[in-house]
Amino acid sequence: MGDLVLSNVEKIYRPNRKAPVHAVKTLNLAVKTGEITALLGSSGCGKTSILRMIAGFEEVSSGTITMDGKPIHNLPPVGRNVAMAFETYSLYPPLTNGENMAFALKAQKLAATESDRRVKAVADMLEISDILHKYPSSVSGGQQQRVSLGRALVRDASLYLLDEPMGQLEPRLRAVLRGRIKHYLRENNCTTILVTHDQTEANALADRIAVMEGGVLQQYATPAELKVRPANLFTGTFVGEPPMNVFFANVDVSAKSVSFTIDGGMVLTYPATELSAEVRKLLLANQRVGIGIRPHALHVAKGSIKGKVVACQWLGDQTHVAVEVAGRTVVSIVHEMLKAKTGSDIQLNVAAGDLHLFNPETGRAIAHGGDLA
Amino acid sequence: MTQLELKSVSKSFGAYAVFESLDLKADSGEIVVIFGGSGTGKTILLRLIAGVQEPTSGTIEIEGQDVTDIAPEHRNVGMAFQNFALFPHMSAWENIATPLRAQKAGAIALKSGVDRVAKLLKIDHVLDHAPRELSNGQKQRTALARALAAEPRILLLDDPLRNVDAKLRFEMRIELPRLLRQSGATVLYVTQDYKEAMALGDRIAVLASGKFVQIATPQDIYMKPANLSVASLFGDPSINTSETAVEMTGKIISVRLGGVQVPIDAHYTPFVGRAVTFGVRPESVELAGPKSAGLAATVMAVTPLNERTVLLLKSEGGWEFLASLPSSSTNIPKPGANVKATFASGGTHLFDKTAGERLDG
Repeated sequence: MGDLVLSNVEKIYRPNRKAPVHAVKTLNLAVKTGEITALLGSSGCGKTSILRMIAGFEEVSSGTITMDGKPIHNLPPVGRNVAMAFETYSLYPPLTNGENMAFALKAQKLAATESDRRVKAVADMLEISDILHKYPSSVSGGQQQRVSLGRALVRDASLYLLDEPMGQLEPRLRAVLRGRIKHYLRENNCTTILVTHDQTEANALADRIAVMEGGVLQQYATPAELKVRPANLFTGTFVGEPPMNVFFANVDVSAKSVSFTIDGGMVLTYPATELSAEVRKLLLANQRVGIGIRPHALHVAKGSIKGKVVACQWLGDQTHVAVEVAGRTVVSIVHEMLKAKTGSDIQLNVAAGDLHLFNPETGRAIAHGGDLA
Repeated sequence: MTQLELKSVSKSFGAYAVFESLDLKADSGEIVVIFGGSGTGKTILLRLIAGVQEPTSGTIEIEGQDVTDIAPEHRNVGMAFQNFALFPHMSAWENIATPLRAQKAGAIALKSGVDRVAKLLKIDHVLDHAPRELSNGQKQRTALARALAAEPRILLLDDPLRNVDAKLRFEMRIELPRLLRQSGATVLYVTQDYKEAMALGDRIAVLASGKFVQIATPQDIYMKPANLSVASLFGDPSINTSETAVEMTGKIISVRLGGVQVPIDAHYTPFVGRAVTFGVRPESVELAGPKSAGLAATVMAVTPLNERTVLLLKSEGGWEFLASLPSSSTNIPKPGANVKATFASGGTHLFDKTAGERLDG
């Protein structure tokens, strides 16, 4: 086990042809021993290229990858001691599920009793003990996916690479398995990289999330930090479901107050003291800002945001209230059951401490909760 | 007023019965969600109502008139499909116009009809595009516009948000109720997504094993599920369960979770001695410090989702269960923490162990 460090890693496909594809751009990323990192992004963001370069299925165009200080990017895949669970499972069809799971342990000449013990423990955790004697082709996709995941987890590897490892599981099992797998990875101090397009999965499992877009690392931070201190409008709106409400506004800073005149007419005014002096200074120079408000920070209560209810949808453990204000729809989340008639008047408020301010041109964060970003 | 009524509608293919004797009434302007897993016959049910397939027995009435033997084009029913099913060689405009042309609408009515729904669905700027030039979201809106164009009395929507991405699905979920109300149609909406069902349905009809196991408001479905399977289908994460029996010690009614006695509400007294499945929804699990009263448990893992954080817990005695707290709450225990769990009143359910039906105290 050891730290995994990617330094200035680039990936360019077809570099000498007419249309080279720059899939990964100057990536710097460090994963600590025992840490679970998620690579999160939509398709084409470069996350799979990164995974394949770490595993050794793809060469780096430039840059280095080191494990525990030693370069590994020139080693063949087998020399990297990486355990991988593939999105497509890639199980060996002539072997039973149990034999698939034990395959690497056997190659490693581990005693049969120890190998059996490990396979059994992981199979129990993944609830596949009853299908170990069957062949992959005779079990469901969700079960094959768990076998593939189990095959990676039973190993003693320097690094665990999990590519969309839970996409095929039914929701009930998925919720429990997320918890069990996170517990297992932590107990065994497994350095892990999880690749996913599903932010729920990334949030649930990862210690830190690397948000990718267009081959560029947008932000690398804990799930909580991504919510509270998004580096730019992209991460702000990409992470979070329902997404962050975004407005564009003109700013007026006076000695006593700061006002945001939102496009479409509404005005939010706060006492100057609720924003730090540095932020006010910055706002004096930036007369236009992007404002981000998380749905849970938009409270249904007397306030300056006045609108009409578009939809009020109770989902059992939360209510989503959609409100039309300043010609657009914003969403507020309440953790109780709330009843509001479509078309009725409603008021919302938001504390200065819950505002995220962005540069409207570059999208970079200016301030979070009244303090500089 | 009842707009649509199914009376003992059955459908079989040879010896295979898809469903048997379904009864359903939908009022004018009501949105009824048909909810069920894949293979439960939801789409077939819509096809029977549309008239493209015939029921094996039973009748279908629209506005009190038996339409079972009436051809699809005379039923005034609009339908939109999961896979959009747009005509690839026609522009979005032509696609939307097809049902109006079928009604032999004049040029003016045709134009105003298409314009009206296109505006409603915010696709008026892409009307000259061919389907392949449209994004998935625009395709789906075009398909909806086509279904709405002829102002049908009954609108059948077959999982219309299935093939669009999460963001768009959320946006449409917020927008659809208003759109559907404006159309004035009575809507049967098929989905496998419980959130969509709860968000959109005035009532939800849960289809399983060829029957409607419950037809009720979202609130009743969630709080008073007819049986364990309905309880498990609604909620994320789904309801925690444990097989146990109801006991009485002195005046205290209890169940055993992982062997440990846990008191439950006194209104379950009539079920003392009964073998049951105990259920508690993750959001009804309340956690407090180790010195409080309650079921002792250890936090195995903390998995923050979006607005809520889910904790995997193991009780003394080894019962594994999930708790779900608002992510904004300030006292979320850490992995390894010892806590005491209690259950919010009204958040627990008992189901008969064999039949699965909910036992209402």
